[in-house]
Amino acid sequence: MKYKSQKIAQDFYTFAVLLFFVQIAVGIIAAFQFIWPDFFILNFNTVRTLHINALVVWLLTGLMGATYFVVPEESQSELWSIPLARFQFWATVVAVTVVVVGYIWMGLNPQANKFVFGTTLLNEGREYIEAPRWADLLIALSVILFLFNNFMTMYKSRRWTGIQGTLLGGLTFLTLMYLPGMFYTKSMVKDQFWWWWVVHLWVEGSWEVIAGALLAFMLMKVTNAPRHVLERWMYIEVALVLFTGILGLGHHYYWIGTPRYWLWVGGIFSALEPIPLLLMVWDAFRVTREHRVVSNRLGLFYAVAHAIFNFVGAGLWGVIHTLPMVNKWTHGTQITTAHGHLAFYGAYVLLVVSMIYITLPLIRGATEFNTSRGYRSFWWMTISMIFIVLTITGAGMVQTYMERLLGLDYVTVKANYNLWFWVFRAIFGFGFLYGVFLFVVDFFKLGKEPVEVPVKVASETTT
Amino acid sequence: MSNKGVRNLFIFGSLFFFVILLGLTFDTMSRIDKRAPEITEEVDQGKRLWHKYDCIGCHTILGNGSYFAPDLTKTTANKPVSYIKKFLVNPRKVNPRASMPVLGITEEEAEKIVAFLDWISKVDTNGWPPEPVLAAVPQAMAGGAAVYQKYDCSACHMIGGVGGTSGPDLTHVASRQPDPEWHRRHLVDPASVVPDSAMPPFAHLSEEELNQLVDYLLTLK
Repeated sequence: MKYKSQKIAQDFYTFAVLLFFVQIAVGIIAAFQFIWPDFFILNFNTVRTLHINALVVWLLTGLMGATYFVVPEESQSELWSIPLARFQFWATVVAVTVVVVGYIWMGLNPQANKFVFGTTLLNEGREYIEAPRWADLLIALSVILFLFNNFMTMYKSRRWTGIQGTLLGGLTFLTLMYLPGMFYTKSMVKDQFWWWWVVHLWVEGSWEVIAGALLAFMLMKVTNAPRHVLERWMYIEVALVLFTGILGLGHHYYWIGTPRYWLWVGGIFSALEPIPLLLMVWDAFRVTREHRVVSNRLGLFYAVAHAIFNFVGAGLWGVIHTLPMVNKWTHGTQITTAHGHLAFYGAYVLLVVSMIYITLPLIRGATEFNTSRGYRSFWWMTISMIFIVLTITGAGMVQTYMERLLGLDYVTVKANYNLWFWVFRAIFGFGFLYGVFLFVVDFFKLGKEPVEVPVKVASETTT
Repeated sequence: MSNKGVRNLFIFGSLFFFVILLGLTFDTMSRIDKRAPEITEEVDQGKRLWHKYDCIGCHTILGNGSYFAPDLTKTTANKPVSYIKKFLVNPRKVNPRASMPVLGITEEEAEKIVAFLDWISKVDTNGWPPEPVLAAVPQAMAGGAAVYQKYDCSACHMIGGVGGTSGPDLTHVASRQPDPEWHRRHLVDPASVVPDSAMPPFAHLSEEELNQLVDYLLTLK
């Protein structure tokens, strides 16, 4: 760590890592509710809200932490204001905690979600952006403070690098795209239209831009590859992300009451969306091949895995059901759930985890650290996730065939024909939870425990 | 191309595509209301209740949402409205196998939610959800089976694994209730033999249809 203000990243990481564990724990409860709906004191809707909101919040706080590390590094200066960053951190923690308490309260007493000033008090009742309007404003304020602090750091240093410029650009786009979720429309069609602006232009737009910038940063950090080459490919990748992703939004407008031309717009552009993700994989492989001196093998391992699973989860698992003639049958089935799980894991979970493994040793001043737990965590998480995704994909295929093609009842298919998929999914959920547990332990111990001496397997022969 | 060149391509190219998106959004906004019925005060209040009870936390609507419970886009087209209203207030009272909990929805609120669901069912969704193309084409059925089909009893009831789950499974109904008079009274006025029944009365069946349907139900042993 070159600048002491980068230490603030650690606070954000800590909060993110703990929420990650909570997210998976409630995810397992939700998985059990598929088998046994009355399994838990809270209904499924509350448990799922916690599962997906914890995901979004921990990824965002993780990305904030990463940004607080990257910007001083790239600007070659201290952060503009450490107290502001600290205030922003605690404000985020307090706001998130209050919102979560609100969700649980509503879960125990649905009538508590009253209308106040024309909007609901505890839960907006819109997927992913369930946080009530007052919390939206606090979240927006927190993000604006965060952006301002980083922008001032760059402005003061007058050192505009491509990586931090793209990172800040992605984060600004992210903030702006929160706004279309902050007004009420009487028409459910318009409601979903604007809601997709937020959800799609986040995960298939601004977040992928951030991922492109961070991938370039990580590859540069661990391999010492030349900046100008990395930045050129980064620009090409993020450009293609937005060229395909902005109008790829159309694949959400096939069947929600919007005009028919979206079938063409969405079909064409979303079919191209995997291309930039494949380019990122190629980029990661190229850098790794050309620069053999690696300073943090575990970090690079995670970064490359992120590129691969971003392509597989967001790219391949997305494109299989993105064309209108396929989507007509699969829309609203478990196929989407399978895609959602692998895409979030590959594109963003592994991104934040790899950023943590690359920056945390520097923050803690560890020149070397034990990597065994990190690798074990990776395999537990990744193998479990692959099986979770395969079980849900299987469930989605059965559902599409039996419900959409044969016309069987939704409840029958879910309760009878898909039962074993739910059971297997829950079992692999525990595997994933164990992987996360190893990661959380590793996060707290990294750089703080004695480093094991590497064991030589074969002694060199001397003649 | 220099790095500055690709950077500019990124920035101005992205702006170009964003401007196209804005144009399409503007156009779409001017067309959406024409593709759906008018939004009455009751429909709007129903939508607000949809949000209040976080229905999307379990259900999908227009195919988007939580995949835990049935999609509600075409609910009023597929189920009797009287059933939906009773179900919303106390799901397990009308369907003991239902997973949905009691949320405290009042009868008045249920009316509004149904108005909202009815509005949704009339939105032009470009043909989604599609008709099940592989569904068994009913053979030229005669007698009671044809009546069963004519009045779409399978929207709520199941026989041999085919049909809905809202009402009781009828695969072995004659073993449970062999009395033809009971069936006759039940069809004409369900609440007269099953208190709090959520099934709508089928008093509009002709005498012949009624006889055929009862005969058919009695074969299901």
